[in-house]
Amino acid sequence: MEDVIKMLTPFSNKTICQLKVGDVVSISGYIYCGRDAVLPRICKELKEGVWEKRGIDLKGGVVFHTAVSPAGVGPTSSNKLEIEGSFETLSKKGGIKMHLGKGAIKPETVEMLAENNAVFAIIPPVTALLESQTLERECVAWSELGMEALYRIKVENYQAIIAAAKGRSIYDK
Amino acid sequence: MKSEKLIIEKVADCLVRAGSTFREDQKEAYRNALADEQIDSSCWVMKQVLDNALVAEERRSPLCDDTGIPHLFLEVGPNKCVTGALLEEIKEGVRQGLRQLPGRPMAIKGDDYARIDQSGGLDEDSGALAPSPIIIKPVEEDVLRLTVLMLGGGPAIRGITQRVFHKHSVDVVIDEIVSRAIPAVGQLGCSPCTLAIGIGRSQFEATSLMMEAMAKGDFGIQNDFERHITKKVNETNIGPLGLGGKYSVLATFAKIGPQRASGVRIVALRPCCCFEPRRATIAL
Repeated sequence: MEDVIKMLTPFSNKTICQLKVGDVVSISGYIYCGRDAVLPRICKELKEGVWEKRGIDLKGGVVFHTAVSPAGVGPTSSNKLEIEGSFETLSKKGGIKMHLGKGAIKPETVEMLAENNAVFAIIPPVTALLESQTLERECVAWSELGMEALYRIKVENYQAIIAAAKGRSIYDK
Repeated sequence: MKSEKLIIEKVADCLVRAGSTFREDQKEAYRNALADEQIDSSCWVMKQVLDNALVAEERRSPLCDDTGIPHLFLEVGPNKCVTGALLEEIKEGVRQGLRQLPGRPMAIKGDDYARIDQSGGLDEDSGALAPSPIIIKPVEEDVLRLTVLMLGGGPAIRGITQRVFHKHSVDVVIDEIVSRAIPAVGQLGCSPCTLAIGIGRSQFEATSLMMEAMAKGDFGIQNDFERHITKKVNETNIGPLGLGGKYSVLATFAKIGPQRASGVRIVALRPCCCFEPRRATIAL
């Protein structure tokens, strides 16, 4: 395996440009966590142009498709309708550069990511390991959703593999 | 210490171990696969899973954030007694174990309708999660032995319990199991899998046998039937997390029970995720 690429959030366009399918990256810094329940709400506010009122800057950021519970974090399937359906708005209007989860996504989503210089990365469901690499956690919006609210967490060396970049997918045969 | 308190503590500890610990045969299965796999990204996944298990064991923390639904398998020897009080102590042990792990709070509140559409919300107490009905099995050994299994949602989505018309051929049954397992393993995501299989006369019996296979299976001990299924599914090269490679499946745990005098066999199949069977056993 090639060397692990260290990445610090928020990511620049140049950093994302250099990534290719199969790269193993190590992510440090603040990232956002959300899944089925909360991602459509963010998209709705981004589309309506009211998201900025929240003072949460998503530009150059990572969205990790996970709940945040006392048990820890771990990826849910990113190809769920509400999750994969959020990729385009989050990247185009929010400036998200990395969608982090698991499972194969549609070819049109892979293409859309390339057009917006964003990537999809897969993270194994290694909750204990991730918990040992999570330094802070804070609920930043829609707290009534409990573990499915929007969280911002600070992480150190989360390892993931780039699964879609530059119009290619790791699942391409 | 009073015996009931001791039983509650033993069950709670057993549940925490089930949710946080790989058994030695499970670790060895990963080490063997890592030594044999050629694809870098697949090795990386399996190394992460194994490292995760070591951290979880050391910290006694959950292997996966889907901590699972507690399922209980109780073996009862000839001179042992199961009372209603004992079953209540086991339930209390489960409750305390879920709080200690901690389990993900995922007990659904409300009446029948609210529990189906989830409109009543979730209970914030990890311990509110009810265990499944207990399977009680008489055994020759004079023990009272409880196995706690923590069953995650992904394998439950992809599991299949359905009839097979066997045409008086074991190969027909195996081929059908393999044809069901391949898409299930591919869709699961959290692989490498372990296939749990029960074959019986009804849906209930097949599922009970599958649970027994999960409770007793050993990665280091595989019969021809199990090895054959593992080999056939691994020929697809789905690989860990679907990234390709030899190890889509680490092992198969199968339990074949009594069979119906007819052309049908009921097969329960569960593609257990990369951490399952999450289980631990305690003598009560």
